[in-house]
Amino acid sequence: MTVASIFSDVLLGLAVLLVLASAVGVLVMPDAYAKLHFVTPAALVAPILVTLAIGVRMGLSENTGESCLALVFMVIASPYLSHATIRAIRVREKGDWRPEGGGKAPGTEEER
Amino acid sequence: MSFVAAAIAMLIALLPAAVVLVRGEPPEAVVGYEFITAIVVMVLALLAQGFQRPSLFELPVLLAVLMYGSGLVFIRALERWL
Repeated sequence: MTVASIFSDVLLGLAVLLVLASAVGVLVMPDAYAKLHFVTPAALVAPILVTLAIGVRMGLSENTGESCLALVFMVIASPYLSHATIRAIRVREKGDWRPEGGGKAPGTEEER
Repeated sequence: MSFVAAAIAMLIALLPAAVVLVRGEPPEAVVGYEFITAIVVMVLALLAQGFQRPSLFELPVLLAVLMYGSGLVFIRALERWL
């Protein structure tokens, strides 16, 4: 057992722990807003750990390259999907994503 | 072998999300769906690595792309029709 394989196993273990903890969070949180917080670690951090594990084990190979490619797509897509999901849920509940009363969105100049 | 074990452990993590997907309200089900697709991308990569099949690494790459499009479809349906 080499140092690389031990390091790779540690990274895999961290990824699995992160995914399991996120799964529990998705299950027990009360509503969709809270559940969505637990998707991000599983969709963003765990893939980075898995890609690092494959990279450490295989070095610069085809496997590492394709893992990095999948990781790039996930890193681009996950935050955008999370934002779009929150927006869709708010539109579904309130009819519009903006604050009630025609005010500006939180964080804009007029509200400060 | 450790890659296959990690894939199996991640498949177990799909069960809570599947419960949310089946039993939750539509917004919660969409969140469960996004969680499951993200995990399955990793599972496919881990299995391809674990069984030493470089050609199977196409699958997680494709699913990562499709995850984006299918997620947007479900989000749009959630916003307008569900």
